[in-house]
Order: sequence, then structure tokens, then C-alpha cells
Amino acid sequence: MNDNPYLRHAFRRAALRTVVNAGIVFFALAPIAWGVLSSLKPTNQILEVPPRFIPQDVTLEHYERVIGDKGLLFLGNSALISAITIVCALAIGSIAAYAIARYEFPGRKVLMVFTIGVMSIPIASLLIPTFTLLSVVGLINTHVGLILLYTAYQLPIVIWMLYGYFLSLPVEVEHAARIDGYTALGTLRRVVLPLSKPALVAAALFVLVFAWNDFVVAVTMTSSESVRTFPVAVYFYLGFYGREWGPLLAAAVISIIPIILIFIVLQRYFISGLTGGGVKG
Amino acid sequence: MFSSEKFTPYRLVGLAVLVELGFVIVPLVIGFWYSVNRVQFFQIRSFTGFDNYWRVLTSPSVANALAVTVTFSVISLVLTFVIGFGLAMWLERSNRLNGVMQAVVLIPYMIAMLVGSMLLKWVFSKESGLSDLVLAPMGMGDVSILADPETAMAALVYNAVWRDSAFAMIMLLAGLKSIPGHLQLAARVDGASAWYRFRRITLPLLQVPIFITMIRLFIHLVNTLTYPLILTGGGPGTSTETVVLKMYRLGFNDNVLGQANALAIMVFIVNIALVAVLLRLFKKAGNIQ
Repeated sequence: MNDNPYLRHAFRRAALRTVVNAGIVFFALAPIAWGVLSSLKPTNQILEVPPRFIPQDVTLEHYERVIGDKGLLFLGNSALISAITIVCALAIGSIAAYAIARYEFPGRKVLMVFTIGVMSIPIASLLIPTFTLLSVVGLINTHVGLILLYTAYQLPIVIWMLYGYFLSLPVEVEHAARIDGYTALGTLRRVVLPLSKPALVAAALFVLVFAWNDFVVAVTMTSSESVRTFPVAVYFYLGFYGREWGPLLAAAVISIIPIILIFIVLQRYFISGLTGGGVKG
Repeated sequence: MFSSEKFTPYRLVGLAVLVELGFVIVPLVIGFWYSVNRVQFFQIRSFTGFDNYWRVLTSPSVANALAVTVTFSVISLVLTFVIGFGLAMWLERSNRLNGVMQAVVLIPYMIAMLVGSMLLKWVFSKESGLSDLVLAPMGMGDVSILADPETAMAALVYNAVWRDSAFAMIMLLAGLKSIPGHLQLAARVDGASAWYRFRRITLPLLQVPIFITMIRLFIHLVNTLTYPLILTGGGPGTSTETVVLKMYRLGFNDNVLGQANALAIMVFIVNIALVAVLLRLFKKAGNIQ
């Protein structure tokens, strides 16, 4: 077999593929894996020099500590805020997207440019002014304030994703529904949305990942424990536990588990949102 | 369609427009108003015109932050783009293995930025023992990565590359998919080398997606707060303090909301300029019809 140059060539290619792919996996996942492994070690073994990669004794003590230390409250806040944000963003977004997809009206193009513009403006430059606004109107440090902000930040991408999908649906069914006496909203609710499940799932996932992961907005706009979201709690652990890496890493792992699980199941939906209509294809 | 209902579309988009006005435009207006006043604890003391802007623009620490931001975002942009492009080319063909590999590359992008930066902080910290393990054989046993200005900057860039290459990859993969397969095939039949095909077919046809990817990456990098805030804390000293981190600290540590808002408005203007370029590219790509 080794005398056959084609086979040898194929073998070399396969070997190269495997080595490069292994390198990619290593660089992408090693920091996460190292965090997970360290979080399972007892405190005295975490700082062991030289480090042992596989924990000698596996313990869940750090996880218990994080959960026991109001962890469930913070996880609950994150889940609640994420869920309500999804509902708000999808409800408001689908109605607006429907108008842009199905009506020709003066100002439509301006609206689309505005949508992409807002979608592309990073939150960082809005942070200080928004903090100022929320303080003035009394929404600082509230669940409602965070939900409204998340909705505002995610609406453009939701509108954009749903708009693209609505365009691909056949108009004839909607015409029929209108002739049967449905209003615009009725048609959207009974005809268009039931046909748009993939786009709705994709948009919902996008909002979920944003709301669940957001740290910058939440840490700026909230201060008390009763509204604290989990990422902000992780940040405070960083200050509170200081150099106690056990609970810190356990909190980090708790935060990423739901996202990774959802991502594994629904990966293809994410990708459509990520390109955000920025690239045709 | 249904063009007889003149006002229906406006009623339908009304709520969305209201939300955007309320939480994007109004903050900017208020931020601007604060930026031209002297503010103490949310009390506007006196109108000062562009005094806050002048203070910010002439402040040495802001100049330093600007230099840090440019260094960080340009190096990160180049590396992230090149690696993302490489990944896109490497994993372009659709098959099961490449699908799994794409998912793996995306995981650092999916998890919270805060968590990613914290995991890297642990990797880079002296306490984890990893840096000694890697650096000692290179004769750098005593180096603490996050305590030295240059290696701290390198760690910051590493963080950006580690997370954001996935974004570049996905954007460019979408662009690659839109290139008709028969072009590559025809060139192949004619005996064109891989490098020739890349230069003469892939690159020219990918021009717009490439620019869109680079602009979106650049906007993201210029505005990231989480990487420096978590990984390096802007340190050692102010060697990794970016403009956005400086703005954050002016507002929440130094409590000079007037100056913080002035800096925010300036960052916003830079962003608007970048977004304007992006919009032109979107138009070119035929996304706005």
C-alpha cells in the first residue's frame, strides 16, 4: 500500500486534516475545559503547582456554595428577564417586520436604514446616557428597566430576521385571509406567524443568548441583589471571592451550561441571526 | 400589497419606533444635554458649553486610552479577520465533520463575554500555574502575563481573537456560499492552481462580505468594555485602559457624568461614521431594497 502514491497522498491529507482540526478544538475549548476541571477540584488542589489537569478528587463544593449564596435568586432573575424580553421583542418585532415586508409606504426605506443603523450601534456608547436617562425617569435598578432596554437593543435584529423570512412567504394566502375579513393583525397572528416558526425560533434564541449573557448593561443599570442577574453576580463574585477561584469558576460554568446545551440542539438557527442580513447567501 | 390602507403600516411599526426612540434616541439627547453642562450627582449645576469636551480631549489619560484602543483594535482586527478567514476556508465544504468543527469554534462566541474573559483570566493568572508551565521552558519563568504592559495587551488581543474569530468565520462562510460553485469548477478544469483561484475568484467575489465583516468586527472591537474590564482591569497601570473603559470609569468611579457623557457622545459619533460606511456596503450587497 505504501508504494501507491495516491494512497500515500490521501493518507497525508487525512493526517493533516486531523492535526489541524485537533489544534482548532484545542484552542477553542481548552480555556473552558480548564475552567470546568479546576472548578471540580477541592480548594487546596486548585492552586497546586505544577497544575494537575485531571482533578485528583472531584468535588461539587464550589457549586453548592454558589447556589447556596443566593445563586438561585440570580439565576431566576436572569431567566425571568430573558423570558419576558423574548416575548416583548418578538411581539413588537413581528408586527413591525410585517408592516415593512408587506406594505409600501413613505418612510419605509428610512425605517429600514434606521433599523440597520440601530442594530449596528454598539451599546457601549449608549451606556452612560442610558444610565442617566433611567435615573431621571426612575427605572434604574428595576427588572422593568432592564427588560425595556434589552427589548430596545434586540428589536432591530428581530425585525430584520423576521422581515427577511416574511418576504419569502407566499402572499396569496394572506390575500385570501384579508378577503375573509381578517384585519392586518389578525392575518399576521393566524396566517403568517404559524408559518414562521423557524424564524421565530431563531429570533427568540438570539434574544435569549443576548439577555442571558448580558453583563455590561445589567451591571450598569442595577445595583441591588433583588434585581441582580447571574452574570452580574459572577462579576461581583470576582470582587468578593477575590482569589478564590473555586466558586468563581463554578459560577462561570453554571452560566454557560444552559447556553451550550441550547446551542448544541439549535445551532443552525443561531447562524442565520449572526449574519444579520449582512451577507447575502 | 393592501396599499388602500394608508395608515395601517404606521400603526404597525408605531410601537417599535416608540421603543427605539425612547431607549436609543432619547438617551442620546439627554446624554448630549448632560455633556454640555456641569453635573454633580445628577444635578445640573450650570451650562458650560463644550467645556466637558475640551477637558476630555485635552486629558492625557484619554489620549492614552485612545492609543490603547487603536493598538488593541487594529491588531485584534487583523488577527481575528485572518484567522476567521482561514477557518472559513478550511471548514467551507459542508459535511458532518465541518459542521461539528464550526460549532466548536462558535462555543467561545456563544458563552457570555464576561465568562470567557474570566476563564482566560484564570488561564493567564499566575495562580493557575499554566503560564509557568508554558513560559518556563522559554526562559520566562518569572513573567506574570497580566502584570506586564506588553503581555497584558497580548492577552487582551488573545481574548478578542479567541472569541471573535468565530464571528468572522460565520460571516465569511455565508459570503463563500454565495459564490457560484461552477466558477471554481470551471477554473479547476482549466488547470488553475488553488492560490490562483483564491486570488482571482474568491477574493474579488467576496469583496463586499469582507468589508462588511471587517467593519462589523472593528465596530465591535473599538467598543468592547468587557475584555479590558474583566481580563486586565485596564492594567497594569493604564496600559490596557481603552476609551470605552475610561468612559465607564469617568461615569461610575469618578462620578463626573458631564465628562463621561461628553466622551460617550464622541465615541457615538465615531460609531455613526463607521455605521454609515457599513450601510453603504449593505446597499451595495443589495440588502436594502
